[in-house]
Amino acid sequence: MRIARGLRPSELLEWPLGIARLGVILCVAVALVLGLVFFVRAVDRLGDDAQRNAALNFDDREFAGGNSLVVDKRALYEARALIPEDGTYRVVTGPRVEGATELTEPYIDQFARSFLMPRRPAADAPWVLCYGCERSALGDSAEVVWDNGAGISLVKVGE
Amino acid sequence: MTGHALVGLAMLNALMLGVGVAALWAFRGWRSWAEIAGLSGLAYMLGVALMGIALTLELVLGVPFSLATVILTGGGLVLVSAAARRSLMRWRPVPTEERIRGLGVVAAVFGALVLVYLEALFRAGRLAGLSAWDAWAFWVPKAKAIYFFGGLDEQFFRELANPTYPPLVPALEASAFHFMGSADVVTLHVQFWFFACGFVAAVAGLLAPRVLPLLLWPFLVLVLVAPRVVGRTLDPQADFLLDYLFALAALLTALWLAERQPWQLMSASLFLGAAMLTKRDGLLLAACVIFAAFVASWRDRRSAWPPIALAAVFGVAVSVPWRVWFSSQDLSGELPEAGVSGMFQNLDRAWPAFISVLSTALDSDLWLVILPLVVAAVVLAFVAGARVLPTFALVLYITLIAGVTAVLWSFTELELPFVQDEGVNPIVRLTASLVVVSGALVPLLLDAAWRGETRPQEGN
Repeated sequence: MRIARGLRPSELLEWPLGIARLGVILCVAVALVLGLVFFVRAVDRLGDDAQRNAALNFDDREFAGGNSLVVDKRALYEARALIPEDGTYRVVTGPRVEGATELTEPYIDQFARSFLMPRRPAADAPWVLCYGCERSALGDSAEVVWDNGAGISLVKVGE
Repeated sequence: MTGHALVGLAMLNALMLGVGVAALWAFRGWRSWAEIAGLSGLAYMLGVALMGIALTLELVLGVPFSLATVILTGGGLVLVSAAARRSLMRWRPVPTEERIRGLGVVAAVFGALVLVYLEALFRAGRLAGLSAWDAWAFWVPKAKAIYFFGGLDEQFFRELANPTYPPLVPALEASAFHFMGSADVVTLHVQFWFFACGFVAAVAGLLAPRVLPLLLWPFLVLVLVAPRVVGRTLDPQADFLLDYLFALAALLTALWLAERQPWQLMSASLFLGAAMLTKRDGLLLAACVIFAAFVASWRDRRSAWPPIALAAVFGVAVSVPWRVWFSSQDLSGELPEAGVSGMFQNLDRAWPAFISVLSTALDSDLWLVILPLVVAAVVLAFVAGARVLPTFALVLYITLIAGVTAVLWSFTELELPFVQDEGVNPIVRLTASLVVVSGALVPLLLDAAWRGETRPQEGN
């Protein structure tokens, strides 16, 4: 019996090449078995991922990671619609947001930075995305352009 | 996601393939269309590396970034390759003929499995949201900044996280946005599917003529189906592209050590340069490849070390302009907060760091049993009488583990033992390089073990 071209089973116990070949066969066997088992799992998992992604709506797909910290997607969409592309904005946060997660306050600024691009963040920007902020602190000239009634608003501050 | 965006991405990747084909023609030449087809994966990845390097240099030099820039850069690289071929022809020996095997049963079956896997990966990626934290926090925003503002925007590249990370991946992502027609962060995942396909095709194309099919395909499949690879390979961030570039550099260096074909080291050098411009970890990975090559070629050091040194110098040279740029902008964050000397003030972190690296690399929930198979393959290759290849692999893995340990040890803000979320602690991402390179090196090692000292490439 030959297990490969020119190779008899008894030769697999000869030192050193036979033993090395025996080891190779064992490695291939492990890789084959594990590879096939996990191939099935991988294709299955990828299929599930594809189904889950396809079931998402456009907003969920666009926000994705932001879903863990964005409380009301409309606020960012309104900001995109109302702030001109060459405009500037600032995100002012506070504790008064209903439904905020522990990630909201520290990271909403970071998420908005990417989502609202090419609009630039600036400390003295006329547009303010107020995420639970104290609106009275924005000054008398602050005009609420949009408000979700739960602590999030888009405010224009007079120049 | 639209058909228009997918067509745009296909065009960008066709451009990168064209650039790589021209570069490979300059480095190597070929004898037949079948050879070109076999090496098309390598050509594509060379195109990715070349385009990435060129676009990064252009960004640093302040060249306005637009669709026209990307197309002209691709065209320019093709012309440069054509011109380079003339001078390279003078001293380039005839390449070893890539023996084209018929498509045997093993290759056909596993090739079909790989195609099924890649199709499933495509379906999972084409409508994926931008969920990975680093991806939405800074990799993709940097790409958007390049796309919207036509360059390394001073404000965004200062304010976004990790400002010293090189911009090769954001540049390629910004190119994808231009070709898609918008900053489509959903379809962007498909670009990373192209990278994954290119890597698989490159490894298969390089190894199929050299390695028995049963030693190549099962290990390639095993790496592809490792849970962590399945879950994260399409994230639009730099980690897996870095691993692909590093793995190809290591594979080509290993082949060069055995066959001494100049095109192999030239290609490896390009991949090393691109790796260094992909992530700061690339510097560590490139240093490991170069050091392992030096050690493995110790017996031939007079003839081998100068070209290896030249490859290393080229790799470092392409990354210098970016370092000059971020230094000139007073951007920081490249080194541990406590400085390099902080390692010696925290000696108690060394052992926990090492154990964390080892336990993560051996975690079967992430990487199956790939690392134990690497150990077995190295031992078996030594037992069979091979020396150069297993020495290269052994030194590469040891230095990689030491390097990753040093990273964890020196960044004192990282908790040890590793319990943090992997978004904070990079250990899982770093160990991926150990695993991905195994898909390329283990088949070579097992082939050396199977053939023993009779293996023609081990003759030197």
